[in-house]
Amino acid sequence: MSRSDPRLTPAPSGAGARAARRGSGPSARTAAVAFGIGVLVIAGLFLIDAYAPGLFPAALPTRAQDGLTLAISVLIESMPFVALGVVLSIVVQVWVPAGVIERWMPRRAWARRMVLSLLGMFVPVCECGNVPFARGLLMRGFTVPETLTFLIAAPIVNPIVIITTHQAFGFSDGILIARLLGGYAIANLIGWLYSRHPDPDALLTDRFRETCDLVVHEPGDRARRSLAQFVIELRAVMPALVIGSALAGAVQVLIPREALLAIGSNPALSIVAMMALAMVVAICSNVDAFFALSFASTFTPGSIVAFLLVGPLVDIKMLALMRTTFTTRTLTGIVVVVVLSAFAIGSVVNLLA
Amino acid sequence: MRDAQHLGSHLATRWLGVGLAAVLSVVTLGLALTGRLALYINPDSTWFAVGMAVLVLIGAALSFALPLGAEDDHGHDHGDARDDDHGDHAQGHRTHPAALAATVVGGVAASGVVLLTLVVPPASLSAELAMSRDVGAPPLFAGSDAVTLASTGDTASFGVGEWATVFATATNPDAFDGDTVTLTGFVTPADGAEGFDLTRLVITHCVIDAQPASIPVAAPDALEIGQWVTITGTVSSTADGRLEIDASSVEPIDEPADPYEY
Repeated sequence: MSRSDPRLTPAPSGAGARAARRGSGPSARTAAVAFGIGVLVIAGLFLIDAYAPGLFPAALPTRAQDGLTLAISVLIESMPFVALGVVLSIVVQVWVPAGVIERWMPRRAWARRMVLSLLGMFVPVCECGNVPFARGLLMRGFTVPETLTFLIAAPIVNPIVIITTHQAFGFSDGILIARLLGGYAIANLIGWLYSRHPDPDALLTDRFRETCDLVVHEPGDRARRSLAQFVIELRAVMPALVIGSALAGAVQVLIPREALLAIGSNPALSIVAMMALAMVVAICSNVDAFFALSFASTFTPGSIVAFLLVGPLVDIKMLALMRTTFTTRTLTGIVVVVVLSAFAIGSVVNLLA
Repeated sequence: MRDAQHLGSHLATRWLGVGLAAVLSVVTLGLALTGRLALYINPDSTWFAVGMAVLVLIGAALSFALPLGAEDDHGHDHGDARDDDHGDHAQGHRTHPAALAATVVGGVAASGVVLLTLVVPPASLSAELAMSRDVGAPPLFAGSDAVTLASTGDTASFGVGEWATVFATATNPDAFDGDTVTLTGFVTPADGAEGFDLTRLVITHCVIDAQPASIPVAAPDALEIGQWVTITGTVSSTADGRLEIDASSVEPIDEPADPYEY
């Protein structure tokens, strides 16, 4: 891939490589030249984007094209949030002085987790952007259970999500309340469970731990560290985002929706069906309430709540993104806890509503 | 040999991170400049997508000034106990061909998808997909506003989505009897015998949440499934109390530049 078309490769200018070997920063002039090359490469990409489609007039098969269209739409839609997450990650990691956040945090572990799970209120990124931001928190020294609590709570306890869920459902059947309290409770449950883990660092992938070691010892001034963090975080998140989006697109054209929805209004099975649907469709938590609304007439309220709880936390795209940081074993544990909790909360809503 | 390996992995780091992000940002800006971003996301969030894409491209251009490998070249000269860790990890990576293979396969797959995005012309979802998503439940995303608006007679701006909501939820169908409409959508098979359904995909945020909205049209001619048409006609209530469009003209058209409603 990258070898085959040198123009697409973020290029290794000879000057850059030499400077790296010397171990010192490049002079201002080399930096300017390198920046110029970067601008040229990007201009080249624009030219390819403008003219290459003309060379591929023959259409893909309908299904493949639909899958690709869906994947591209998720990518284009989530890319800005990921970029925002990366920026916030750079801010917490490089620009906020040591101790500023920590001073405001309670000392007790459970209280810290409860505060962190409300952090989502003030961080305006939807779930895809949370992953790079959470990585920034980890690198800053927050513990694994604390970061997990934030990561799980933030997509639900989030002002935009609260507003759209309220727009869609109002207060009917307690769906909004069940979603908020349920999300908050699941996050703190997961945080508590993993705080009992004897070796929390073992929850992280080797690759991420190496990255942490590197980032902490990052040399150079803040601008340089920011740039390095930009490179590192995008490298960690982008392939996962692309693969997660491609999977979400492929699954949508391969699994017929009727297969999931045939289960209808059975109280228990409808919850299972809606949770499966939530994991498959991978819609942003900002708008999944509107999506769920169209199922409200045929499905039980509890199953809608389960959909709204499972989707933001452990859908295909999120799992691919979280895999950059947490081991498969950890993710399996999280999925089990989320699914069981969502099933329990959905059942309670069905009994009460 | 080791230098070449290092160079390769540093290049891969740049391409899989900044490179993929830059390509996607270029695609986003390219679509926005040619007015086609609405094929993928709701125009309401264009400003955000464009702003962040510009930011990513600035970062990508600047990253060329960061010496290759600088993002993970240090730490080797740290004389603390962690050095052993580093050695172990590095060793571990080299001795796990499965993990390496997974990384390579994932990288190639991600690159493939992103390069396809760059070179394949943008497209809208097919009528087949719209039909497979039609679960029989009326789309309620437009909220009850549509019905309130409709009953005041202010339906000039209504699209297929709004009318579908009205048709599904109106408690007093006769109130709309005789309203004239001009609507554009594509043809899907009708539930009943006569005519066809006029369908449009409605998007809340991006294409992945697209949901079909359709309204029954009574028209004599048979049309090909998926054909885009503009119909003119009046709303009429059928004998069994349902609403449908009585088409006075059905004109086949090319797919419009804005195939979705929002």
